[in-house]
Amino acid sequence: MNKEAIGSKIWKTALSFLIAILALIPIVWMIALSLKHQGTAFNGVSSYFIPPYTFENYIKLTFGSKIMMWMLNSVFVAVITTFFTIVFTAMAAFALSRIRFRLSKFMYTLFIIGLLIPTEATIIPLYITINKFDMVDTFAGIILPCIASPLCIVILKNFFDSIPQDLIDSASLDGCGWFRSFWSIVLPLSKTAVSAISIFTFVSIWNNYLWPFLVLTTEEKFTLPVGIPVFNSSYSADYVLPMTANAIASIPIIIVFLIFEKQLVKGITMSGIKG
Amino acid sequence: MKKSARDGISAAVFLLPYGILYAVFILWPVVFGAYVSLYKWNMMGAEDFVGFTNYVNMFTDGSFWEAMGHTFLFVVITTPIYIVFAFLLALLCNRETIFKRFYRTVYFMPYVLSVSVVSYLAVFMFQPYTGLINTTLHMLGVSGEPFWLANPTLAWIVIMFITMWWTVGFNMVLYVAAMQDIPDELYEAASIDGASRARMTFSVTIPMIKPTTGVIFLLQVIASFKLFAQPYMITSGGPGTATRPIIQYIYETAFKKNNLGYASTMSYALFIVLLIFTLIYQVLSGRKARAEK
Repeated sequence: MNKEAIGSKIWKTALSFLIAILALIPIVWMIALSLKHQGTAFNGVSSYFIPPYTFENYIKLTFGSKIMMWMLNSVFVAVITTFFTIVFTAMAAFALSRIRFRLSKFMYTLFIIGLLIPTEATIIPLYITINKFDMVDTFAGIILPCIASPLCIVILKNFFDSIPQDLIDSASLDGCGWFRSFWSIVLPLSKTAVSAISIFTFVSIWNNYLWPFLVLTTEEKFTLPVGIPVFNSSYSADYVLPMTANAIASIPIIIVFLIFEKQLVKGITMSGIKG
Repeated sequence: MKKSARDGISAAVFLLPYGILYAVFILWPVVFGAYVSLYKWNMMGAEDFVGFTNYVNMFTDGSFWEAMGHTFLFVVITTPIYIVFAFLLALLCNRETIFKRFYRTVYFMPYVLSVSVVSYLAVFMFQPYTGLINTTLHMLGVSGEPFWLANPTLAWIVIMFITMWWTVGFNMVLYVAAMQDIPDELYEAASIDGASRARMTFSVTIPMIKPTTGVIFLLQVIASFKLFAQPYMITSGGPGTATRPIIQYIYETAFKKNNLGYASTMSYALFIVLLIFTLIYQVLSGRKARAEK
């Protein structure tokens, strides 16, 4: 390797590490502060990071605040929404991809149109609709509109289209109905796609803010993203407890990310391709 | 029963659960929103039919134009920056090194945090006297004490900066995927021709990932138009209304001033802007794709 190439390698590595440090610093700072004693005075950069450390903030917030309740609500909402999104959109995508019927093309176009509708621009009529159904301040009110998002249909239909017809035909000859071929052939063959969009859906629902913020009004029903600002805004001088709350809200999703990074990245790539 | 009829029924059964939700929660609000926008409407329901009054008022409402202007400003400034930065990060973490995985994981990690956590990190980091940014500036010998969130320009910089930190990994991941799809032979051929690394980036990488750039551009513009939570939590739209985006103004009109009719009108305006933008993009990219064939 010549001198020039080595030089370029060194500065690119240095730059890569520098950016990695910048990307991590806010997260490290958050965790460092969450480990400090309440009431610590911060008078310089080193004062955030040096010991003494304590876990008492975590214990205090786990048992003495609503944060664990919000966490359970978030888990519940994210799991239920992800599950039904996958089941319902997979069923619809299967019908569009595999069953021949008259309105197939029309239905697919109708769902594609949905991709052009940004939910942020329809929140007011959507809110009135939810209100009519008496679903304001209920989990149903935040879950049902999220399931209706058409992105997964498009991704799954494209994926189902790529499954060889022979596989399904041979199963159909054995007297296998549409439901069996959906459940026992197409879904198992789509494991990678399904797991990718499941993780992608889970992470987006877990972090969803605007809609739950509008729909939920009682603190006991808040999800984490809605509850955290309410909790944090009551502390302006103290950093320690808000940072503990932020850390408690972030650590589970960071762990999920580290475990399922591959699927999440795949989910994002699949969702990007539709554009 | 004929097979085609049976298939029709099966298809209906498969489509029904999703189809109902889609019709009620995605399609209906679009139609219904147009209806509501023609009324004076509060939380209890419709009050009066007012025709196009809400639309007329919108065009003369200074606060509407201010908020819309803020959102446009955010879109115009952030879209190119976030795309270029994502591209550079993708180049950096797509190099053949043992840290490849590490770089990608770390650059992407902020994206999985909730917007609430991200916003409050910004609030505390940019706090005067005791925040991370100002103490770091002091350590580096800067003597001033910037009050980040009290100055409109600085507040916008904070919002744009923290949003970049939070979301740039998403675009980067799309770019990395596109770069990995470029056949190695193209780089080998370029290297035989004696092309430098920089030259290869410009004449192989950038042209090959052009379709991805188009996708990222569209997604980024739409994402930037949806700006709401970060200014809402970091500055509450302030100082004054200097950082209030259109979605926050819509939210306040509906839920603080109890004027859902006018809020619907403004939602519709936003919807039309996004729709026109998406359609122009589709037409242009479709025409280009055909021209390239």
